[in-house]
Amino acid sequence: MGHYYLRRTARAFVTVFLVTSLSFGLIRLLPGGPFTLLRANLLRQGVPASEVDARIASLQNIQPDAPLWRQYLDYMGAAAQGDFGTSISLDEPVAQIIAEAVPWTVFIVLVSTVLIFVFGILLGAIQAYWEGSRFDQLVSGASITLMSVPFYVVAVLALFVFAYQFGWFPTAGTVGPTVEPGLTMEFVTSALNHAALPIFSYTITGIGGQALAMRGNSIQVLGNDYVEVARLRGLSDRRIATRYVARNAILPLYTGFLLLLGFRLGGTVILEQIFSYPGLGYYMWSALESNDYPLMMGTFLVITVALVIGVYIADLTYGLIDPRISRGETDAY
Amino acid sequence: MTTTSDRLHRAGDGVSDPILEVKNASVTYDDGDTYVLDDVTFSIERNEILGVVGESGSGKSMLASALLDAIPAPGHLSGEVLYHPDPDTTVDVLEFSDAELNEFRWAEVSMVFQGAMSSFNPTMKVGAHFEDTLKAHDRSVPEGLEFAREILSDLYLDPDRVLDSYPHELSGGMQQRALIALSLLLEPEVLVMDEPTAALDLLMQRSILLLLEDIKEKYDVTMVFITHDLPLVASLADRMAVMYAFELVEAGPRDQLINDSSHPYTRALLNSTPNIDAPLEDMRPIPGKSPAPVNVPAGCSYADRCPLATETCRESDPAFEPVEAGHTVACHHWERAAEAIELTFGEAAAVGGDAEGDPQ
Repeated sequence: MGHYYLRRTARAFVTVFLVTSLSFGLIRLLPGGPFTLLRANLLRQGVPASEVDARIASLQNIQPDAPLWRQYLDYMGAAAQGDFGTSISLDEPVAQIIAEAVPWTVFIVLVSTVLIFVFGILLGAIQAYWEGSRFDQLVSGASITLMSVPFYVVAVLALFVFAYQFGWFPTAGTVGPTVEPGLTMEFVTSALNHAALPIFSYTITGIGGQALAMRGNSIQVLGNDYVEVARLRGLSDRRIATRYVARNAILPLYTGFLLLLGFRLGGTVILEQIFSYPGLGYYMWSALESNDYPLMMGTFLVITVALVIGVYIADLTYGLIDPRISRGETDAY
Repeated sequence: MTTTSDRLHRAGDGVSDPILEVKNASVTYDDGDTYVLDDVTFSIERNEILGVVGESGSGKSMLASALLDAIPAPGHLSGEVLYHPDPDTTVDVLEFSDAELNEFRWAEVSMVFQGAMSSFNPTMKVGAHFEDTLKAHDRSVPEGLEFAREILSDLYLDPDRVLDSYPHELSGGMQQRALIALSLLLEPEVLVMDEPTAALDLLMQRSILLLLEDIKEKYDVTMVFITHDLPLVASLADRMAVMYAFELVEAGPRDQLINDSSHPYTRALLNSTPNIDAPLEDMRPIPGKSPAPVNVPAGCSYADRCPLATETCRESDPAFEPVEAGHTVACHHWERAAEAIELTFGEAAAVGGDAEGDPQ
């Protein structure tokens, strides 16, 4: 058992290490190279050409004239300490920008994913109980339709209709410009108001898939002998619905939940761009546009690490919620 | 059709103190177009073991579910299922309200399903199934669990280990025995077992059968043992009933039914039973296949496969006729069956394998 946790943990670290290395290599393959822009900026600011390399080194933890392996080691060493250098376009430490952006992105992704699961599971369960009814057919049709619509289409439409036409919601930002951060009523309502449309676009396009999956799982579980036996044993409908049907139907969705969390994090690159919502994805996009390599690498890493952590948590906890998966016996599920 | 079953009852099936009586029970689907149980009438004697035999798809499981009024929707059960908690009291199970039915099931008549592996919730410990059942019937959980431990020990299981295990942690035989213990938890009067040993290997089948006899003695329970495995049930049952195409075709005391079987189908079934001692040439599969639940033939449903079939058989449904005391058969030509279809296994002992069932 301990062996299993050890192996999973080691695997998570190896994945993060490989991703970091890959990002180092990939960025160097991009046209222009990492420091061209920065060098030009510094020269324009009147920094003497002889000092430019030293300034770059102090800003980005990498000596541009050092051999590649040396740059790689410096980069990895700094990244391990959470230091991703200084953003070229925003002139602030990347770590600080990320720290400010991450809570907003996590907020949107977490809330929408939880909503997707709560509503998807409820709808799917009700559909399964009333299999073949009009409600079932209606929801199935709606689910398939919503599944086929990409979230950014809904996002653009929602932005146009609810923000620009009706003016119910703001068109940009995370909170109102005059609102002070803090646990005040004003701050919370403002934050919710700004996040409403992004969360809506994410949620509405995700519910369908979960509802259909839950519906299929539930119908399969309902056909099992143990449900019939429980009924004969005189158990109440509520007990059967929760402990015998719902639990067994939801279990397979659990891994998907954590993976979806990770993938949605990646999706924010587009979502936050549409709503001008300064979260992780927003900064990643603007970094790409302005050739801001340190910021690009930082946001890219954070998103990947989040996905790895999602999978890691799923790995570790699945055995706790499903007794049939005993740690160490099997690698696959 | 009603007359057929009434005659069976009048003909006397040798039951003097029935605990359960089934009268004209039919199960229909598709608004009465499809019969999966066709006008079945029989009784179960208090404290006997009744073996019900039939091939796959002959309505055996429907019969079992009918005893608990638990036909899966959208099936519809008609007729009467009378329960006698004691010889002087009669209640009609089909008249029960939902609450009464919930109380009746498992506490009075309980059931062991085929495939114990799928009868337990895979994400719940076995012990939790016992607790759930006790709570649902407002019984004391500590006392009930104490009783459960006793049954489990009687079934040669380690109670603490089994109750604290998840179903997948037990072997097939252990799950089956745990399921039997669960079905006895509320001390039911009748235990209906639907193919309880189908998924088990031969040795495990044999040992469970032996356990069932002990259990029956100790817990004073009436058993209905439903199976497709004729030799298996022949070693256990006091009385047997044979089903074919959703109907009962023959019923009688075990020894008479085996040695003196009067329905051509029963005889053919005996001849088709694999036997390690009999040469392969002696095995006689029954040609043809049994009818589907739609378009059941007007006359005897076995007529198409029966060597004795005549015009009469194809036109009119045979009524039950008494062969001897307690032994009834639904066949127009039962008197000729014995000479027309010779039993190939020679002596029934080879089938039963049970010492007391030794015929001469």
